[in-house]
Amino acid sequence: METNQLLSYILFTPLLGALLLLVFQRENENEIRIFGLSISVITFGLTLMVLSKFDSINPGFQFVHKVPWITNLNISYHVGIDGLSLLLLLLTTFITPLTLLSSWKAINKKVKEFTFFMLLLEVGMIGVFVSLDLFLFYVFWEAMLIPMYFIIGIWGGERRIYASVKFFLFTMTGSLIMLVAIIWLGVSAGGVVGHFTTDLVELYSVGPALAKNFQNWLFLAFALSFAIKIPLFPLHTWLPDAHVEAPTAGSIILAAVLLKMGTYGLIRFCLPLFPEAAITFAPFLSVLAVIGIIYGALVAMVQKDMKKLVAYSSVSHLGFVVLGIFAMTQESMQGAIIQMVNHGLSTGALFFLVGVIYERSHTREISDYGGLAKIVPVYSAALLIASLSSIGLPGLNGFIGEFLILLGAFKSPLLNTWGFTVFAATGVIFSAVYLLWMYQRVIFGVVKNPKMEHLPDMNKREIFIFASLLIFIVWIGVYPNTFLKISDRSTARVLIQVNTPVPREIPK
Amino acid sequence: MHVPIEYFLVLSAFMFITGVAGVLTRRNAIVIFMSVELMLNSANLTLVTFSSYIGNPVGQLFVFFVMTVAAAEAAVGLAIIIALFRNKQTMNVDEINILKW
Amino acid sequence: MNVDYLVNSLYLIKPELAIASALVLLVLIDLIMGNNKKFLPYVAIAGLIAAAYFIIGQFGMNSLAFVSKSNKGMIIADPFGAFFKGIVVFASLFVVYFSIKSDEIKASFERHGEYYTLIFGMILGMFFMISASDLILIYISLELVSFSSYVLAGFTKTALRNSEAALKYVIYGGVSSGIMLFGISILYGITGSTNLYEINSLIQSSSIPNLTFILSGILIFVGIGYKISAAPFHFWTPDVYEGAPITITAFLSVASKAAGFALLIRFIKITFIKSVDSAGYWQLVDLIDWKTFFIFLSIITMTLGNFAALWQDNLKRMLAYSSIAHAGYLLLGMAVLSNQGMIAIIIYFAVYAITNLGAFFVVMLIANKIGSENIDDYKGLGYSQPFLGVSLAIFLISLTGLPPTAGFIGKLYLFIALVDAKMITLAVIALLNSVVALYYYIRVLKNLFLSRPANGTFEFKVSFSNGLVLVLLAAPIIILGIYFTPLVDLAKNSMQILGF
Repeated sequence: METNQLLSYILFTPLLGALLLLVFQRENENEIRIFGLSISVITFGLTLMVLSKFDSINPGFQFVHKVPWITNLNISYHVGIDGLSLLLLLLTTFITPLTLLSSWKAINKKVKEFTFFMLLLEVGMIGVFVSLDLFLFYVFWEAMLIPMYFIIGIWGGERRIYASVKFFLFTMTGSLIMLVAIIWLGVSAGGVVGHFTTDLVELYSVGPALAKNFQNWLFLAFALSFAIKIPLFPLHTWLPDAHVEAPTAGSIILAAVLLKMGTYGLIRFCLPLFPEAAITFAPFLSVLAVIGIIYGALVAMVQKDMKKLVAYSSVSHLGFVVLGIFAMTQESMQGAIIQMVNHGLSTGALFFLVGVIYERSHTREISDYGGLAKIVPVYSAALLIASLSSIGLPGLNGFIGEFLILLGAFKSPLLNTWGFTVFAATGVIFSAVYLLWMYQRVIFGVVKNPKMEHLPDMNKREIFIFASLLIFIVWIGVYPNTFLKISDRSTARVLIQVNTPVPREIPK
Repeated sequence: MHVPIEYFLVLSAFMFITGVAGVLTRRNAIVIFMSVELMLNSANLTLVTFSSYIGNPVGQLFVFFVMTVAAAEAAVGLAIIIALFRNKQTMNVDEINILKW
Repeated sequence: MNVDYLVNSLYLIKPELAIASALVLLVLIDLIMGNNKKFLPYVAIAGLIAAAYFIIGQFGMNSLAFVSKSNKGMIIADPFGAFFKGIVVFASLFVVYFSIKSDEIKASFERHGEYYTLIFGMILGMFFMISASDLILIYISLELVSFSSYVLAGFTKTALRNSEAALKYVIYGGVSSGIMLFGISILYGITGSTNLYEINSLIQSSSIPNLTFILSGILIFVGIGYKISAAPFHFWTPDVYEGAPITITAFLSVASKAAGFALLIRFIKITFIKSVDSAGYWQLVDLIDWKTFFIFLSIITMTLGNFAALWQDNLKRMLAYSSIAHAGYLLLGMAVLSNQGMIAIIIYFAVYAITNLGAFFVVMLIANKIGSENIDDYKGLGYSQPFLGVSLAIFLISLTGLPPTAGFIGKLYLFIALVDAKMITLAVIALLNSVVALYYYIRVLKNLFLSRPANGTFEFKVSFSNGLVLVLLAAPIIILGIYFTPLVDLAKNSMQILGF
């Protein structure tokens, strides 16, 4: 197998799987589930192969595969990864089989369509992380919306239609603005490299050469689109709705991967393409990030619905990531990247666990529960670990990310004040409050609802899913170096790109 | 007797405006058609005037075509009005309102 | 003018001749065969295929037909015209097929002869509209298209909404063509010519009364604007689209609009152009500020179309407003006034034609069975009729302009043209409009797939031939969305207008 085509295999395996799925009889639900799962496991296996051949010393893009596509516009099928995208790629292909497994019983209508959309979604997510051409990136970015729209809209809860339409409209608005920015950037490339292009590697030399006010506008357009996706305060309003209404698998994917696309976009595009603008707007965006951290935590505290609580905690946690990115130090940036992975694991686990209990009791209201510790001990233990990991207990993954971010933000010459760190740190405390409070109300106390007394505990399949997540939760917490070193050089490269802009030329 | 060109043009402009006003204010479908005819004829008058003023026959040629078109338009229009009248027993455009205007 | 020359000119209008002969043949067969009308559509298809064959030959041509001492030529044969004629023939082929399958049309079986004859009358008119270079021919061809479509809009005369649509159509059409004619008469008075090429050389060389000229230009635009349903001349569109038989609605929304845009581009480019600079921007005679005019017109048209579409419950009516909005996007391509803008228009139009035909075909197939075009009656259609549902979804997603469908490519090239011309604000306005459009298209998708079926109303089978045609329309949308180089090459070849 050619190593440089490995990424294309990863990208097209789920697509091929989705197409092959169409020939299955819809009655054979179990075969469909097994087939979907095997496809996603194969994809994960291929990603591990990439990991084994990945050279973490090399800061550039690896496994690059470039084929001319639309020659008129110099658009090519150009994929490749660096340490940053590798981590997220691993996260994506790792989480997808788990979500398919988690919905083994929960999704029992239209299994074929569900598996089809999940595989399609995986194609989109992988595509976003491996594209090195803005046009290709944009196609995946948008194409992903459609499966997600249907996953929320068909298999979601009561207000699923409202939530799916809101999700679609919010993200569409952002991405259309990004489209204009991409075209604008491509056209301005004519003044620097002499022709229209959307090739990221070429554009890395174009963006920094643009005049300051051009950079500002383009940066804002890209950042707006990513901020909606992250979601950064005050553009987060679609997120609780989408999370609450989505089926468990949808929530996990949404939290674990989709939100990361926004932060990934910031690091991959906003910073290196428009370094001067990024430095200009960094304090401003950091303020929004800190507001998001505190606001998300405070709102999470008063939620009555478990899923909503976890959703708002996402707003808070991603605030940390954004703060880490815009503090622009090696520590904070590394922290942001590891925090992206962490959030995927811990919040994914939390959503999964909420889904597990919801499947059994059909309620997500915190007040309906109580005293679960005696009824479902395994579940209670799992929920405790997931909550602690999300809070950032030392020894578990969340601590590493938040610590690095706070340290980096404190040292950051760009932000140049400890205020950010102090306010962000309160977010950590708040998160302990709302998660432990929820835990206390759900797990301890007296059993309020007699129906709850006979809830079955987690079965083997569910324990397996949680255990898989747990391995990495502990691994990152105990020995984060395995993961930090993968992205170390790529982070350093991004920082170099930001701090040393190319000498300026006047665009035409 | 020599009549200055302005006289013709003013007359045709007046006819045109009358036609437009008729279309806008009248409610009877037949009258609206008559107003449209008036607009076409004002254009005809302009064409003939310019044609003789410039000394170029194209304008007069055009008028023949326009007259034919106007006749065809009247025929199609009346046919449609009759078809509608059979269904609805009215010629008032205000009462033709299944489809919102 | 000698006979040889006349014969040469006739060679240049072979597609038109093919359509005209087919028209005569249709009338004759209808007369001779009496009650046996089964052959009519096949005759029509044969005529269209012949015309298509001649049109392909026209891609290599670049000449004027019917040139005389006093006239620089009436008809142009060039790749630009060939492209738009191709669109018309493409649409006509599908519309004839739709007509065979449509229950509405089948119901008035005894008048099939008139039906196909009138369709061919429209096609003939459109062909001349696309290739005319003389105001007389422009006016007459416009009227030929209009008259045929008036009658066709009210074809199933027993249905009240049909005749109502026809009456509204005829009144709006009559008024706007009257206004256009008045504009033509003034332009003729100022320049002393009806030939676009002559007018062009005249206004470049001598001084022209400014105000009168602007007046005549705007008045002429009214007639064209009405054909392409640009605001504020769009009022007829929703009513006629909703009231007319679906086959005719599809035809009007694609073919008639193609002819209108071809006429608009030709009129502006030939009449007002001074030169084309190296970057492909058109330098126009600065008598009328067409750029500003088109900018405002496109903003008004797309905003109005998109916002009005939000409130519609009838899918046909919604598609009518969406087609107004699309006219607005196409006018954006005009506002750029460059070759790049024109390529964008051509690409956008090719995509729009396929997509719209497909969407109307699905609407027709469903209306045949459930007798309703109401969006709320489509609830759960995607479940009981997955094939129709998925096809309609593809068409609607393409109309919205999302990748990986061809609709996205149209928008992409439009935005590239706009950004290249430094019209970023306009691009942003267009984009915000797309979001509004997304909202109403999604509403249909929502009813198709997310709502539960009200009752088992969709228990029917899609026949093999209908399915095949649907695939023929849906497949290119996906394929061109992923690999669009051929489309772009076609557009680059088709933007060649004679003389510039």
